[in-house]
Amino acid sequence: MKFLCVPCDEPMKIQETKGPDEGSLSVIFNCPTCTRQVALLTNPMETQIVRSLDVKIGGPQATYGPMAFVRSALVAQRADAPSADQPASTGSACPFTAIANAAFEGQGAADGAIWTEAAAERLNKIPGFARSWAQKGIEQYAREKGLPKITEEVMEEARERFGM
Amino acid sequence: MKSYREIAGDAGSDVLGQVGAQQERLRARMAKIRLKVAVVSGKGGVGKSAVVANLAAAFAKRGLKVGALDADINGPSLAKMLGVRGQRLAFTAGGAQLPQGPLGIRVLSMDLLLPDDETPVLWSGPAEGEAYFWRGAMEVTTLREFLADTEWGELDLLLLDLPPGTDRIPNLLPLLPELHGVVIVTLPSQVSQLIVTKSVTVAKEIVKAPILGLVENMASHLCARCGAEAPLFAGEDSARMAQRLGIPFLGRVPFDPLLARYADEGTPVVLSSPGSPAARALWQIADKIGESLHLPAEPVEAKESR
Repeated sequence: MKFLCVPCDEPMKIQETKGPDEGSLSVIFNCPTCTRQVALLTNPMETQIVRSLDVKIGGPQATYGPMAFVRSALVAQRADAPSADQPASTGSACPFTAIANAAFEGQGAADGAIWTEAAAERLNKIPGFARSWAQKGIEQYAREKGLPKITEEVMEEARERFGM
Repeated sequence: MKSYREIAGDAGSDVLGQVGAQQERLRARMAKIRLKVAVVSGKGGVGKSAVVANLAAAFAKRGLKVGALDADINGPSLAKMLGVRGQRLAFTAGGAQLPQGPLGIRVLSMDLLLPDDETPVLWSGPAEGEAYFWRGAMEVTTLREFLADTEWGELDLLLLDLPPGTDRIPNLLPLLPELHGVVIVTLPSQVSQLIVTKSVTVAKEIVKAPILGLVENMASHLCARCGAEAPLFAGEDSARMAQRLGIPFLGRVPFDPLLARYADEGTPVVLSSPGSPAARALWQIADKIGESLHLPAEPVEAKESR
Protein backbone atom coordinates (compact mmCIF):
# COMPACT_ATOMS: atom_id res chain seq x y z
CA MET A 1 0.00 0.00 0.00
CA LYS A 2 1.38 3.39 -0.98
CA PHE A 3 0.08 6.91 -0.57
CA LEU A 4 0.52 9.63 -3.14
CA CYS A 5 0.13 13.36 -2.51
CA VAL A 6 -1.97 14.25 -5.55
CA PRO A 7 -1.18 18.00 -5.75
CA CYS A 8 2.58 17.34 -5.51
CA ASP A 9 2.53 13.95 -7.30
CA GLU A 10 4.95 12.80 -4.61
CA PRO A 11 4.86 9.56 -2.62
CA MET A 12 4.11 10.20 1.02
CA LYS A 13 6.35 8.94 3.82
CA ILE A 14 5.47 7.39 7.14
CA GLN A 15 5.97 9.91 9.89
CA GLU A 16 4.63 8.03 12.87
CA THR A 17 2.79 4.87 13.88
CA LYS A 18 0.61 4.47 16.94
CA GLY A 19 -1.06 1.49 18.49
CA PRO A 20 -2.45 -1.01 18.11
CA ASP A 21 -5.14 0.52 20.28
CA GLU A 22 -8.47 -1.26 20.48
CA GLY A 23 -7.36 -3.33 17.55
CA SER A 24 -6.44 -0.38 15.35
CA LEU A 25 -3.12 0.92 14.14
CA SER A 26 -2.78 4.60 13.30
CA VAL A 27 -0.17 5.39 10.69
CA ILE A 28 0.51 9.04 9.85
CA PHE A 29 1.96 9.87 6.45
CA ASN A 30 3.21 13.20 5.26
CA CYS A 31 4.20 14.62 1.95
CA PRO A 32 7.90 15.55 1.93
CA THR A 33 7.17 18.45 -0.45
CA CYS A 34 4.10 20.22 0.95
CA THR A 35 4.02 18.54 4.41
CA ARG A 36 0.34 17.64 3.99
CA GLN A 37 -0.58 14.80 6.34
CA VAL A 38 -3.01 11.90 6.16
CA ALA A 39 -3.64 9.14 8.66
CA LEU A 40 -4.33 5.50 7.86
CA LEU A 41 -6.47 3.84 10.50
CA THR A 42 -6.63 0.07 10.24
CA ASN A 43 -9.57 -2.03 11.29
CA PRO A 44 -8.93 -5.05 13.57
CA MET A 45 -8.80 -7.47 10.65
CA GLU A 46 -6.20 -5.39 8.85
CA THR A 47 -4.18 -5.08 12.06
CA GLN A 48 -4.40 -8.82 12.51
CA ILE A 49 -3.20 -9.58 9.00
CA VAL A 50 -0.14 -7.38 9.47
CA ARG A 51 0.54 -9.06 12.79
CA SER A 52 0.11 -12.54 11.31
CA LEU A 53 2.93 -11.83 8.90
CA ASP A 54 5.22 -10.72 11.73
CA VAL A 55 6.13 -7.47 10.02
CA LYS A 56 6.04 -4.00 11.52
CA ILE A 57 4.44 -1.00 9.90
CA GLY A 58 6.86 1.89 10.06
CA GLY A 59 9.92 -0.27 9.68
CA PRO A 60 11.70 -3.05 11.50
CA GLN A 61 12.09 -2.67 15.22
CA ALA A 62 14.55 -4.16 17.60
CA THR A 63 14.35 -7.93 17.76
CA TYR A 64 12.91 -9.43 20.87
CA GLY A 65 14.54 -12.82 21.13
CA PRO A 66 13.69 -16.27 19.87
CA MET A 67 10.10 -17.15 19.08
CA ALA A 68 8.90 -13.71 20.13
CA PHE A 69 6.04 -13.92 17.67
CA VAL A 70 4.72 -17.26 18.91
CA ARG A 71 5.19 -16.38 22.54
CA SER A 72 3.40 -13.07 22.21
CA ALA A 73 0.54 -14.43 20.12
CA LEU A 74 -0.51 -17.53 22.05
CA VAL A 75 -3.50 -16.90 24.31
CA ALA A 76 -2.24 -19.40 26.85
CA GLN A 77 1.15 -20.98 27.19
CA ARG A 78 3.29 -22.64 29.79
CA ALA A 79 3.82 -20.35 32.73
CA ASP A 80 7.46 -21.33 32.86
CA ALA A 81 8.12 -21.07 29.12
CA PRO A 82 9.39 -17.50 29.04
CA SER A 83 11.20 -16.51 32.20
CA ALA A 84 12.05 -13.04 33.38
CA ASP A 85 15.77 -13.37 32.83
CA GLN A 86 15.42 -14.49 29.26
CA PRO A 87 15.03 -12.31 26.18
CA ALA A 88 11.63 -11.76 24.66
CA SER A 89 9.79 -12.49 27.84
CA THR A 90 7.69 -9.35 27.46
CA GLY A 91 9.34 -7.88 24.45
CA SER A 92 6.54 -7.84 21.94
CA ALA A 93 6.02 -4.67 19.97
CA CYS A 94 2.37 -4.99 20.85
CA PRO A 95 1.55 -3.11 24.07
CA PHE A 96 -1.31 -5.45 24.84
CA THR A 97 1.00 -8.41 24.59
CA ALA A 98 3.57 -6.82 26.81
CA ILE A 99 0.95 -6.19 29.48
CA ALA A 100 -0.57 -9.60 29.07
CA ASN A 101 2.77 -11.39 29.10
CA ALA A 102 3.89 -9.46 32.16
CA ALA A 103 0.65 -10.33 33.84
CA PHE A 104 0.94 -13.95 32.76
CA GLU A 105 4.36 -14.13 34.30
CA GLY A 106 3.07 -12.60 37.49
CA GLN A 107 5.08 -9.44 37.08
CA GLY A 108 3.20 -6.56 38.59
CA ALA A 109 -0.12 -8.27 38.88
CA ALA A 110 -2.25 -6.62 41.53
CA ASP A 111 -2.13 -8.37 44.85
CA GLY A 112 -5.46 -8.92 46.51
CA ALA A 113 -7.43 -7.08 43.84
CA ILE A 114 -11.04 -6.46 44.75
CA TRP A 115 -13.54 -7.94 42.34
CA THR A 116 -17.22 -7.09 42.52
CA GLU A 117 -19.54 -10.06 42.71
CA ALA A 118 -20.82 -9.48 39.17
CA ALA A 119 -17.31 -9.15 37.80
CA ALA A 120 -16.16 -12.29 39.58
CA GLU A 121 -19.17 -14.15 38.18
CA ARG A 122 -18.30 -12.96 34.70
CA LEU A 123 -14.68 -13.98 35.20
CA ASN A 124 -15.81 -17.48 36.12
CA LYS A 125 -17.55 -17.78 32.77
CA ILE A 126 -14.21 -17.52 30.95
CA PRO A 127 -12.99 -21.00 29.95
CA GLY A 128 -10.67 -22.47 32.55
CA PHE A 129 -7.58 -22.59 30.35
CA ALA A 130 -7.73 -18.81 29.80
CA ARG A 131 -9.22 -17.63 33.10
CA SER A 132 -6.03 -17.18 35.07
CA TRP A 133 -4.41 -15.37 32.19
CA ALA A 134 -7.43 -13.09 31.77
CA GLN A 135 -7.63 -12.39 35.50
CA LYS A 136 -4.03 -11.32 35.72
CA GLY A 137 -4.33 -9.18 32.61
CA ILE A 138 -7.41 -7.39 33.93
CA GLU A 139 -5.85 -6.86 37.35
CA GLN A 140 -2.77 -5.43 35.70
CA TYR A 141 -4.95 -3.12 33.64
CA ALA A 142 -6.83 -1.97 36.74
CA ARG A 143 -3.60 -1.34 38.60
CA GLU A 144 -2.20 0.75 35.75
CA LYS A 145 -5.37 2.81 35.67
CA GLY A 146 -5.39 3.22 39.44
CA LEU A 147 -8.81 1.61 39.72
CA PRO A 148 -9.50 0.37 43.24
CA LYS A 149 -12.11 -2.19 42.29
CA ILE A 150 -12.67 -4.44 39.30
CA THR A 151 -16.18 -4.09 38.00
CA GLU A 152 -17.84 -5.39 34.85
CA GLU A 153 -17.17 -1.99 33.30
CA VAL A 154 -13.47 -2.33 34.03
CA MET A 155 -13.51 -5.80 32.51
CA GLU A 156 -15.15 -4.38 29.41
CA GLU A 157 -12.57 -1.59 29.21
CA ALA A 158 -9.78 -4.12 29.53
CA ARG A 159 -11.39 -6.31 26.90
CA GLU A 160 -11.57 -3.38 24.48
CA ARG A 161 -8.05 -2.32 25.38
CA PHE A 162 -6.81 -5.81 24.57
CA GLY A 163 -8.80 -5.89 21.35
CA MET A 164 -10.49 -9.14 22.36
CA MET B 1 -0.18 11.24 -11.60
CA LYS B 2 2.33 8.55 -10.65
CA SER B 3 1.19 4.95 -10.70
CA TYR B 4 1.85 2.37 -7.99
CA ARG B 5 4.75 0.86 -9.90
CA GLU B 6 6.41 4.21 -10.44
CA ILE B 7 6.81 4.73 -6.72
CA ALA B 8 9.81 2.99 -5.25
CA GLY B 9 9.65 1.54 -1.75
CA ASP B 10 6.72 1.46 0.59
CA ALA B 11 6.79 4.78 2.44
CA GLY B 12 9.23 3.58 5.07
CA SER B 13 8.04 0.26 6.43
CA ASP B 14 10.35 -1.75 4.18
CA VAL B 15 8.13 -4.78 4.47
CA LEU B 16 10.10 -6.55 1.76
CA GLY B 17 13.28 -5.87 3.70
CA GLN B 18 11.72 -7.25 6.86
CA VAL B 19 10.61 -10.41 5.07
CA GLY B 20 14.07 -10.69 3.52
CA ALA B 21 15.68 -10.46 6.96
CA GLN B 22 13.38 -13.21 8.22
CA GLN B 23 14.34 -15.39 5.28
CA GLU B 24 18.02 -14.73 5.82
CA ARG B 25 17.78 -15.72 9.47
CA LEU B 26 16.01 -18.91 8.43
CA ARG B 27 18.54 -19.66 5.71
CA ALA B 28 21.46 -19.21 8.11
CA ARG B 29 19.90 -21.57 10.64
CA MET B 30 18.99 -24.20 8.08
CA ALA B 31 22.47 -24.10 6.54
CA LYS B 32 23.70 -26.10 9.53
CA ILE B 33 21.28 -28.93 8.81
CA ARG B 34 22.45 -31.26 6.08
CA LEU B 35 19.19 -32.93 5.11
CA LYS B 36 15.56 -31.91 5.57
CA VAL B 37 12.80 -34.42 4.96
CA ALA B 38 9.07 -33.86 5.33
CA VAL B 39 6.58 -36.60 6.14
CA VAL B 40 3.14 -35.80 4.75
CA SER B 41 -0.26 -37.16 3.91
CA GLY B 42 -3.32 -35.47 2.56
CA LYS B 43 -5.32 -37.59 4.95
CA GLY B 44 -5.37 -37.26 8.73
CA GLY B 45 -5.03 -40.16 11.11
CA VAL B 46 -2.77 -42.28 8.94
CA GLY B 47 0.09 -42.37 11.44
CA LYS B 48 2.46 -39.73 10.11
CA SER B 49 3.71 -38.78 13.55
CA ALA B 50 4.38 -42.39 14.51
CA VAL B 51 6.32 -42.84 11.29
CA VAL B 52 8.31 -39.66 11.99
CA ALA B 53 9.09 -40.66 15.59
CA ASN B 54 10.32 -44.07 14.51
CA LEU B 55 12.30 -42.84 11.53
CA ALA B 56 13.96 -40.27 13.78
CA ALA B 57 14.86 -43.01 16.25
CA ALA B 58 16.08 -45.35 13.50
CA PHE B 59 18.37 -42.70 12.03
CA ALA B 60 19.61 -41.64 15.45
CA LYS B 61 20.42 -45.28 16.14
CA ARG B 62 22.56 -45.23 13.00
CA GLY B 63 24.61 -42.55 14.68
CA LEU B 64 23.14 -39.53 12.91
CA LYS B 65 22.34 -36.27 14.65
CA VAL B 66 18.61 -35.98 14.19
CA GLY B 67 15.98 -33.33 14.83
CA ALA B 68 12.22 -33.78 14.70
CA LEU B 69 9.92 -30.82 14.15
CA ASP B 70 6.24 -31.22 14.81
CA ALA B 71 4.77 -28.91 12.19
CA ASP B 72 1.26 -29.89 13.20
CA ILE B 73 0.66 -26.70 15.15
CA ASN B 74 -2.91 -27.53 16.16
CA GLY B 75 -2.59 -31.25 16.77
CA PRO B 76 0.89 -31.70 18.18
CA SER B 77 1.78 -35.26 19.14
CA LEU B 78 5.49 -35.68 18.47
CA ALA B 79 6.59 -34.48 21.93
CA LYS B 80 4.53 -37.27 23.45
CA MET B 81 5.79 -39.90 21.03
CA LEU B 82 9.41 -38.94 21.60
CA GLY B 83 9.12 -38.72 25.36
CA VAL B 84 9.75 -35.01 25.90
CA ARG B 85 6.23 -33.93 26.80
CA GLY B 86 6.25 -31.79 29.93
CA GLN B 87 9.78 -30.58 29.37
CA ARG B 88 10.31 -26.93 28.66
CA LEU B 89 12.02 -24.88 26.05
CA ALA B 90 14.76 -22.59 27.28
CA PHE B 91 15.19 -19.29 25.50
CA THR B 92 18.66 -17.87 25.11
CA ALA B 93 20.27 -15.39 22.79
CA GLY B 94 21.26 -18.27 20.51
CA GLY B 95 17.70 -19.45 20.11
CA ALA B 96 15.25 -21.82 21.73
CA GLN B 97 17.07 -24.69 23.41
CA LEU B 98 15.31 -27.98 22.83
CA PRO B 99 14.67 -30.97 25.01
CA GLN B 100 16.20 -34.18 23.75
CA GLY B 101 14.35 -37.40 23.17
CA PRO B 102 15.75 -40.91 22.79
CA LEU B 103 19.34 -41.05 21.50
CA GLY B 104 19.59 -37.27 21.67
CA ILE B 105 16.87 -36.53 19.10
CA ARG B 106 16.11 -32.81 19.29
CA VAL B 107 12.38 -32.31 19.44
CA LEU B 108 10.30 -29.20 18.88
CA SER B 109 6.55 -29.20 19.14
CA MET B 110 3.90 -26.64 19.98
CA ASP B 111 3.01 -29.04 22.76
CA LEU B 112 6.08 -27.79 24.65
CA LEU B 113 4.56 -24.31 24.84
CA LEU B 114 1.04 -25.25 25.90
CA PRO B 115 0.23 -25.23 29.61
CA ASP B 116 -1.84 -28.38 29.97
CA ASP B 117 -3.74 -31.17 28.23
CA GLU B 118 -6.94 -29.20 27.82
CA THR B 119 -5.50 -26.10 26.23
CA PRO B 120 -5.75 -25.83 22.47
CA VAL B 121 -3.70 -23.47 20.35
CA LEU B 122 -5.56 -20.17 20.46
CA TRP B 123 -4.15 -16.96 19.09
CA SER B 124 -4.72 -13.61 20.69
CA GLY B 125 -5.33 -10.70 18.42
CA PRO B 126 -7.61 -7.87 17.49
CA ALA B 127 -9.74 -9.94 15.12
CA GLU B 128 -10.28 -13.22 16.95
CA GLY B 129 -13.80 -13.53 15.62
CA GLU B 130 -12.45 -13.90 12.11
CA ALA B 131 -9.70 -16.37 13.00
CA TYR B 132 -10.63 -18.58 10.04
CA PHE B 133 -9.30 -15.81 7.83
CA TRP B 134 -5.84 -15.34 9.32
CA ARG B 135 -5.12 -18.58 11.18
CA GLY B 136 -3.23 -20.02 8.21
CA ALA B 137 -0.85 -17.05 8.12
CA MET B 138 -0.24 -17.39 11.87
CA GLU B 139 0.63 -21.06 11.43
CA VAL B 140 3.07 -20.45 8.59
CA THR B 141 4.73 -17.64 10.55
CA THR B 142 4.94 -19.94 13.57
CA LEU B 143 6.55 -22.66 11.49
CA ARG B 144 9.04 -20.17 10.12
CA GLU B 145 9.89 -19.08 13.64
CA PHE B 146 10.18 -22.69 14.84
CA LEU B 147 12.69 -23.37 12.10
CA ALA B 148 14.64 -20.12 12.33
CA ASP B 149 14.68 -19.38 16.06
CA THR B 150 15.65 -22.80 17.34
CA GLU B 151 19.15 -23.84 18.29
CA TRP B 152 19.08 -27.01 16.21
CA GLY B 153 22.84 -27.16 16.09
CA GLU B 154 24.66 -29.14 13.43
CA LEU B 155 22.23 -31.84 12.37
CA ASP B 156 22.54 -34.58 9.80
CA LEU B 157 18.81 -34.81 9.36
CA LEU B 158 15.72 -32.81 10.28
CA LEU B 159 12.41 -34.63 9.95
CA LEU B 160 9.28 -32.52 9.68
CA ASP B 161 5.94 -33.96 10.68
CA LEU B 162 3.43 -32.01 8.61
CA PRO B 163 -0.28 -31.82 9.44
CA PRO B 164 -2.80 -33.37 7.07
CA GLY B 165 -3.78 -31.46 3.97
CA THR B 166 -2.72 -31.32 0.37
CA ASP B 167 -1.65 -27.70 0.77
CA ARG B 168 1.08 -28.39 3.32
CA ILE B 169 3.98 -28.97 0.97
CA PRO B 170 3.27 -25.81 -1.05
CA ASN B 171 3.17 -23.89 2.25
CA LEU B 172 6.43 -25.41 3.43
CA LEU B 173 8.52 -24.97 0.30
CA PRO B 174 8.85 -21.18 0.47
CA LEU B 175 10.37 -21.72 3.92
CA LEU B 176 12.51 -24.69 2.94
CA PRO B 177 13.24 -24.49 -0.79
CA GLU B 178 16.12 -26.89 -0.29
CA LEU B 179 13.84 -29.67 0.99
CA HIS B 180 15.65 -32.93 0.28
CA GLY B 181 12.75 -35.28 0.31
CA VAL B 182 9.11 -35.99 0.97
CA VAL B 183 7.81 -39.22 2.47
CA ILE B 184 4.10 -39.79 1.87
CA VAL B 185 2.07 -41.94 4.24
CA THR B 186 -1.22 -43.63 3.41
CA LEU B 187 -3.53 -46.27 4.74
CA PRO B 188 -4.49 -49.03 2.33
CA SER B 189 -8.05 -47.75 2.29
CA GLN B 190 -9.75 -46.31 -0.75
CA VAL B 191 -10.63 -43.13 1.13
CA SER B 192 -7.05 -42.53 2.24
CA GLN B 193 -5.60 -43.40 -1.14
CA LEU B 194 -8.02 -41.08 -2.89
CA ILE B 195 -6.78 -38.11 -0.86
CA VAL B 196 -3.15 -39.15 -0.74
CA THR B 197 -3.14 -39.37 -4.52
CA LYS B 198 -3.87 -35.65 -4.59
CA SER B 199 -0.93 -35.04 -2.24
CA VAL B 200 1.31 -36.92 -4.64
CA THR B 201 0.05 -34.81 -7.53
CA VAL B 202 0.74 -31.59 -5.62
CA ALA B 203 4.20 -32.70 -4.51
CA LYS B 204 5.23 -34.23 -7.83
CA GLU B 205 3.55 -32.18 -10.51
CA ILE B 206 2.88 -28.78 -8.98
CA VAL B 207 5.65 -27.94 -6.54
CA LYS B 208 8.06 -30.57 -7.88
CA ALA B 209 9.31 -31.67 -4.46
CA PRO B 210 11.60 -34.70 -4.40
CA ILE B 211 9.44 -37.66 -3.35
CA LEU B 212 11.34 -40.37 -1.51
CA GLY B 213 8.41 -42.72 -1.58
CA LEU B 214 5.13 -44.01 -0.23
CA VAL B 215 4.67 -45.76 3.12
CA GLU B 216 1.63 -47.93 3.69
CA ASN B 217 0.71 -47.78 7.37
CA MET B 218 -1.73 -50.09 9.18
CA ALA B 219 -1.25 -52.45 6.28
CA SER B 220 -2.55 -55.56 7.99
CA HIS B 221 -3.61 -57.02 11.29
CA LEU B 222 -1.74 -59.80 13.02
CA CYS B 223 -3.89 -62.15 15.07
CA ALA B 224 -2.55 -62.16 18.63
CA ARG B 225 -3.49 -65.84 19.03
CA CYS B 226 -2.45 -67.57 15.84
CA GLY B 227 -0.27 -64.92 14.18
CA ALA B 228 -2.28 -65.01 10.98
CA GLU B 229 -2.07 -61.82 8.96
CA ALA B 230 -5.24 -60.29 7.59
CA PRO B 231 -5.86 -57.04 5.71
CA LEU B 232 -7.54 -54.21 7.60
CA PHE B 233 -8.71 -52.28 4.56
CA ALA B 234 -9.84 -53.10 1.07
CA GLY B 235 -8.12 -50.43 -0.97
CA GLU B 236 -5.75 -50.67 -3.89
CA ASP B 237 -2.45 -52.38 -3.23
CA SER B 238 -0.24 -49.47 -2.20
CA ALA B 239 2.78 -50.82 -4.06
CA ARG B 240 0.72 -50.82 -7.23
CA MET B 241 -0.57 -47.37 -6.38
CA ALA B 242 3.00 -46.10 -6.03
CA GLN B 243 3.93 -47.67 -9.34
CA ARG B 244 0.89 -46.10 -11.00
CA LEU B 245 1.87 -42.70 -9.59
CA GLY B 246 5.50 -43.13 -10.58
CA ILE B 247 6.96 -42.90 -7.08
CA PRO B 248 9.00 -45.41 -5.06
CA PHE B 249 7.22 -47.73 -2.65
CA LEU B 250 8.99 -47.79 0.70
CA GLY B 251 7.13 -50.54 2.52
CA ARG B 252 4.18 -51.66 4.58
CA VAL B 253 3.87 -51.22 8.34
CA PRO B 254 1.43 -53.69 9.89
CA PHE B 255 -1.00 -52.61 12.55
CA ASP B 256 0.84 -53.48 15.71
CA PRO B 257 -0.42 -52.65 19.21
CA LEU B 258 3.20 -52.41 20.34
CA LEU B 259 3.74 -49.42 18.07
CA ALA B 260 0.87 -47.54 19.70
CA ARG B 261 1.92 -48.62 23.17
CA TYR B 262 5.46 -47.39 22.78
CA ALA B 263 4.27 -44.20 21.11
CA ASP B 264 2.21 -43.50 24.22
CA GLU B 265 5.24 -44.20 26.36
CA GLY B 266 7.50 -41.94 24.31
CA THR B 267 9.88 -44.70 23.37
CA PRO B 268 9.66 -45.53 19.65
CA VAL B 269 8.99 -49.16 18.85
CA VAL B 270 12.12 -49.43 16.66
CA LEU B 271 14.13 -49.01 19.85
CA SER B 272 11.84 -50.59 22.41
CA SER B 273 10.85 -53.68 20.50
CA PRO B 274 13.07 -53.79 17.43
CA GLY B 275 12.11 -57.34 16.57
CA SER B 276 8.38 -56.66 16.44
CA PRO B 277 6.66 -56.74 13.03
CA ALA B 278 6.08 -53.00 12.92
CA ALA B 279 9.62 -52.20 14.01
CA ARG B 280 11.12 -54.51 11.39
CA ALA B 281 9.03 -52.83 8.71
CA LEU B 282 10.04 -49.36 9.90
CA TRP B 283 13.71 -50.32 9.97
CA GLN B 284 13.46 -51.45 6.35
CA ILE B 285 11.73 -48.22 5.40
CA ALA B 286 14.46 -46.22 7.13
CA ASP B 287 17.07 -48.24 5.24
CA LYS B 288 15.44 -47.42 1.90
CA ILE B 289 15.19 -43.73 2.75
CA GLY B 290 18.82 -43.79 3.88
CA GLU B 291 19.84 -45.22 0.52
CA SER B 292 17.90 -42.55 -1.35
CA LEU B 293 19.52 -39.82 0.72
CA HIS B 294 22.96 -41.41 0.31
CA LEU B 295 23.38 -41.72 4.03
CA PRO B 296 26.30 -43.83 5.18
CA ALA B 297 25.47 -47.49 5.52
CA GLU B 298 24.60 -48.62 8.99
CA PRO B 299 27.52 -50.33 10.75
CA VAL B 300 27.02 -54.09 10.92
CA GLU B 301 27.33 -54.12 14.69
CA ALA B 302 24.61 -51.47 14.92
CA LYS B 303 22.36 -53.53 12.68
CA GLU B 304 22.93 -56.59 14.79
CA SER B 305 22.12 -54.68 17.94
CA ARG B 306 18.68 -53.68 16.70
